[in-house]
Amino acid sequence: MALPKFDVLCPDSLDEACDMLESHASEGIKILAGGTDLLVNIKLPVIAPRAYVLESSTSQLVSTHSEELWKDHSGPLAPPSPAYLLSLHRLRNELERIEELPDGSLLVGALTTARTLQMSELVRLKWAALAEGADALGSPLVRARGTLGGNICNARPAADLFVPSVALGAKLGVVSIHGYEVIDASEFALAPGKTRLQSGQILVEIVYPASPPGTGSAYYKLAQRKALDISVVGAGVRLTIDSLLKITSVSLALGAVGPTPIVAKTVIDVLLGKKLDDSTLKLAATAAASDATPIDDHRGSALYRKQMIEVLTRKILTTAYLRARRSL
Amino acid sequence: MKKIISLTVNGKVVEVAVEPGRTLLELIRDDLNLPGTKLGCGLGDCGSCTVLMDGIPTFSCLTLAIQAEGCRIETVESLSQDGHLSKLQEKFIEKGAIQCGFCTPGMLMTSTELLRRNPGPDEHEIREAISGNLCRCTGYQKIVEAVQGHSEEGEK
Repeated sequence: MALPKFDVLCPDSLDEACDMLESHASEGIKILAGGTDLLVNIKLPVIAPRAYVLESSTSQLVSTHSEELWKDHSGPLAPPSPAYLLSLHRLRNELERIEELPDGSLLVGALTTARTLQMSELVRLKWAALAEGADALGSPLVRARGTLGGNICNARPAADLFVPSVALGAKLGVVSIHGYEVIDASEFALAPGKTRLQSGQILVEIVYPASPPGTGSAYYKLAQRKALDISVVGAGVRLTIDSLLKITSVSLALGAVGPTPIVAKTVIDVLLGKKLDDSTLKLAATAAASDATPIDDHRGSALYRKQMIEVLTRKILTTAYLRARRSL
Repeated sequence: MKKIISLTVNGKVVEVAVEPGRTLLELIRDDLNLPGTKLGCGLGDCGSCTVLMDGIPTFSCLTLAIQAEGCRIETVESLSQDGHLSKLQEKFIEKGAIQCGFCTPGMLMTSTELLRRNPGPDEHEIREAISGNLCRCTGYQKIVEAVQGHSEEGEK
């Protein structure tokens, strides 16, 4: 399966990348990080670079195929065809890093791969939900190329790095020629594949709040198989407890049960100030299910998904609570 | 417009002019004439195009050649030395881990990287490592045995 012809820009610095994004904005430009989704979408073609559209307009076969794919795709689709891809591969030194900041928060560069996240002892120790999201993503080969920034910017509701990032309260650092902006991960996605990222902007870093003693997190993905699958339901949580083992803060995010990763807001009231016992767990599970708006699709029915949200909520809360107790 | 890139393939520095949309797989097979690496699905699902890029298993069908500029690429052709197969290749033959052979180059590269980072993997670690490489013939058992057999006997 060959790729169509298109032009790729290879900036040597972030400043140059921002300039290129700005100057080619009107022609359509798409940012290429690991390519595990973008290049697949171009090959299929869900996204057709402009040069390709022009060439293939003479070919009935290709255009029919492409139309079918567009029809199959539910929901608002994909940005207009880009004329350029902007490859970030020369910015690896700048944008591929994992660093604990002086205030205890964790900075992860947007080009950091899922494989690197998996292998980081620091991430697994203090931001376990993110490491477990990385474990669950695609296959080892996808994890070797797929990046944290790309997974978030694709804004798929099931994204295995995005959902735990929302649960962990991540802040997204975005740059353009106009400067630096911070966006809450929980507010970043607008619809499947659609984000708050403006034309000319590029996600450069993701910052996870500090993980003080008494904090634990967890992510669990339910799918038909363990490798190369998209979740039926994904759930991530981060919570902090005090010395009396009562929950002082909690944030729970759900994947694949709505158009974007969903923050289960009613769970917060159920859990705050409580110890995690059986009755609290049950209440929290019911609350989480009520926050979701799943649909029926080939991966699972809405009813099944609602039931599985309850199961997953109990599971991740139990795990995160145990980790929180261990870190006290 | 073609771009000139430089990369190291199986220890040799290569300088080539490539179309921006050319994949690393096409560069390796068609321009560098190393047909050991296979094109399977072309979509990152099957792993038959796996090469090592800076030591990491990478699907070359979903990597643009220009993304590999400055990188160190190892293909299945690099495993044999002076006409002798590597120990792992010999184990694949001995254990019957090859049937049609199409997944084999990818399986070998993925397993080679696993054994470099973890010389004594258990069955679970092997199955996890090759979970992005599909095989329709062997049912994986023979491949797992070959990798295990290799690690039991140690490096060549």
